[in-house]
Amino acid sequence: MSGQDIKSRPIYTPLARDPAGRAHLLISDGAAPSPEAFAPGTSAADFAEIWNVMGHSQALPAPLAGSGAQAFRSASHLLDMLRHRLARETMGLRLYAVGAEHFCWDVAGCASAAGMGREEFFLFATGKPSRRVVCVHCRTLNAHVRTNLITCAGCHAQLFVRDHFSRRGNAFMGVQLDAEAPGETIDLEELTS
Amino acid sequence: MMDQPVLALCVAASEALSPTLRRLTLVAADGGRLPPAAAGAHVTLTLSVAGHARPLKNSYTLVSADPERGYTLIVRRTNPSRGGSQHIHEALTVGDGLEASVPHNLFALHSQAKKVLLIGGGIGITPLLAFVAALRARGGRFELHQICSAEEQDTFAALIGAQPGETVHLHAGRASFDAAAVLGAQPLGTHVYSCGPAALMDAIERQAAALGWPASHVHREDFGAAGGEPFTLTIGSSGARIAVAADQTMLEALEAAGIDAGSLCRGGACGVCAVPVRAGELEHRDHYLSAQERQSGGLVMPCVSRARGDSLVLDI
Amino acid sequence: MTIAFKPDETFRGDFRYANSPAAILRFPFPFDQDSYMYGINMEPHTRSQKGGGQMGGAFAVAFDVDEHYVAECAERAAVLAADPGRCQVLPHMIEAEWDTLELIMESLSADYPEHFVLERQGNDWTWTNRPLGLHQRFRFGDVSSLPHGPFEYITRQAQGDFTLQDQRDGTLYMDGGIATTQADWSLSFDLGMTFHEWHGPVPLAHQKGVFERALSYLMRVRYGHPARRLNWTMTVHPRLDTSPENYPVWGPDRTTLTADNIGETLHLRVELQTFYRLPRSNGLLFGIRAYLASIDELARVPKWGRRLHRVLRDLHPEIGAYKGTDRFRALAVAHLARVDDGAPTSPGIQPDIQSLPA
Repeated sequence: MSGQDIKSRPIYTPLARDPAGRAHLLISDGAAPSPEAFAPGTSAADFAEIWNVMGHSQALPAPLAGSGAQAFRSASHLLDMLRHRLARETMGLRLYAVGAEHFCWDVAGCASAAGMGREEFFLFATGKPSRRVVCVHCRTLNAHVRTNLITCAGCHAQLFVRDHFSRRGNAFMGVQLDAEAPGETIDLEELTS
Repeated sequence: MMDQPVLALCVAASEALSPTLRRLTLVAADGGRLPPAAAGAHVTLTLSVAGHARPLKNSYTLVSADPERGYTLIVRRTNPSRGGSQHIHEALTVGDGLEASVPHNLFALHSQAKKVLLIGGGIGITPLLAFVAALRARGGRFELHQICSAEEQDTFAALIGAQPGETVHLHAGRASFDAAAVLGAQPLGTHVYSCGPAALMDAIERQAAALGWPASHVHREDFGAAGGEPFTLTIGSSGARIAVAADQTMLEALEAAGIDAGSLCRGGACGVCAVPVRAGELEHRDHYLSAQERQSGGLVMPCVSRARGDSLVLDI
Repeated sequence: MTIAFKPDETFRGDFRYANSPAAILRFPFPFDQDSYMYGINMEPHTRSQKGGGQMGGAFAVAFDVDEHYVAECAERAAVLAADPGRCQVLPHMIEAEWDTLELIMESLSADYPEHFVLERQGNDWTWTNRPLGLHQRFRFGDVSSLPHGPFEYITRQAQGDFTLQDQRDGTLYMDGGIATTQADWSLSFDLGMTFHEWHGPVPLAHQKGVFERALSYLMRVRYGHPARRLNWTMTVHPRLDTSPENYPVWGPDRTTLTADNIGETLHLRVELQTFYRLPRSNGLLFGIRAYLASIDELARVPKWGRRLHRVLRDLHPEIGAYKGTDRFRALAVAHLARVDDGAPTSPGIQPDIQSLPA
């Protein structure tokens, strides 16, 4: 098992409005985008349209409004509305997503499905690391992983959580740690990124 | 693995579509199958033209490419002509043999396009005709705008053969084509392909960028930058002079002169064929040398790079 | 070309496998000098007679068929039966699937006419594969006329893994493939990744800019001008399926090597990688053909025994670790030291002999 200097691990750059875009939609999975997500001199106020997740069932957003702040009930609600919005958009839109890493890549998935290229959306992952980890042996998706080792919920293998990331699957890879020498292990650590 | 990277073709049909447009159908000289090709591909024909010492090599888009029925191309008679189009219109006849490269494609449809916007000017319609056929076959969504003179509208309309439900517009002259309006109305996920005079393609690129289209969704016809101007190589140690022709690489010229430069990938990536340069300006086309190495001008990759002027002295 | 197929060989369990002297001499030994470092070792895939012998060299044909062909196809079928997810192609690559079927059928029938026959009347094709006893009539372009998707259908009849690349946005996306003989990468996980992403886990090479240049070269591969390169790793037992999926099954093998068994148990695994531009889709087909020979088999070629000893002895630790050799490299070096008398070795990969010493 080699060291974790894996180049497929996404690196996030603080967000700024892309001057080449015609219209800009900022999306967060919380009540407001975390300020750390923005490049110096930029803030959420620079975006004409912002979507946030309120986390309560009474929110009434207008996803096709084209401007202003819209509040959604949950991340799932927001993503569902995003698909509708993208299906009615014209070329020139830029998307910006702030929030948990897996949420950002859910937004990226909606963008790709709508035919947007990688230069049309920008992601910034915030919060304590909480990874989706696919067990390569049994294909079980283990969610909310915060440590470098877990027991697979499907096949109970001791998995090492690799930095190898699939954008399509929105998940990191987990590989059995002690396949060569059963019981051999490493120190359990919290993920730092 | 190919044993025959050059195709021996024969003219099966030559049809005047208009006073300046001629459609050629080319088949394999031995009656065999031809390599298939994706829409947007082109072939380079070797034309032996009266009055020219060396054969001309001209590239033409394949309007259609069927391994058994053959390749069709449409050639505009240009005036003045460098010789190629005049030869095709006036000298080439059914039964004539000619050589062609295998098809090469630098202008292929993007696999993730939700919709394809096609904009053509004059003879630039040729790759667009290939795209239309491919999109029809797979049920892909497209919109086509062809700019041409009023006299040619009927000819191009017949070539396009718009079917019910298709969005096809012919515009008599560039002034009547509102690029901003057309580009501004395209849904997310559209890719635009333009082919025609450079000024048209430049205008589409500028207008699309102004409307926020990412560069990855804007495509223009490109035959590739192979070859260049001829120049002379001098071998430093012996003073021997070697002519490098326009359609020949420096490496090929060295090898033809019996000099073994050593090579591996022959594509500018591995660095094996690097030769030291004593004098002369360089046009680097490789992917191996660092920016610093290129600027110092001390090394060149003969498999892809060329002289910027008309001579180069190699320190070998 | 005479090929004595060995249909009863196995690549798991009892590992009934060995290379004939002819197979050893034509083995694509990957080291052209006495040390190894990553590089762009791409070259045009032209016919050459490296290796020689009655079977012809491994580089003499487009897709090599050797004495292990029948057994390897049976092994592939077994892997797919247990895990169909080892062959997946994204829907937009369907034209690339047909391109692959056409390329492999044309190549096999041209290079091995006594074993494979392709007859075509327009889109009505008939394919005969004598070693596997297959005879298939189908319509080119019509998936319903084949028992599997076209890519899976033909790669079940070829040795080695294959991946399909879509060229777009200035890079290559791996949008399809079959991986039943892979050296530790997961098709299911890596499907849809870009060139840089699926090479993410490879150490050192990124810093040296190797992948930038390799990608640039591959994107300019033209139809009719395929390229090739060699890659290598080491495998315990002649096991073809060393997938991450089955790592719990083969991982323990790495701790079973001893000074007594290492010579016949540790295998050099060489990948002959080939790169083809596909005409109808404009995509790229990567062939990843795995060859296995034990270190004792290879040491029967004196030059290769000396060179393999020196390469392993001086291997960069990060590369050794990435290739999974940490547990046994010292043991392998000690074993091979016995065949290295320090004599100079010639540059290049060729064996320098026409028959094996007794």
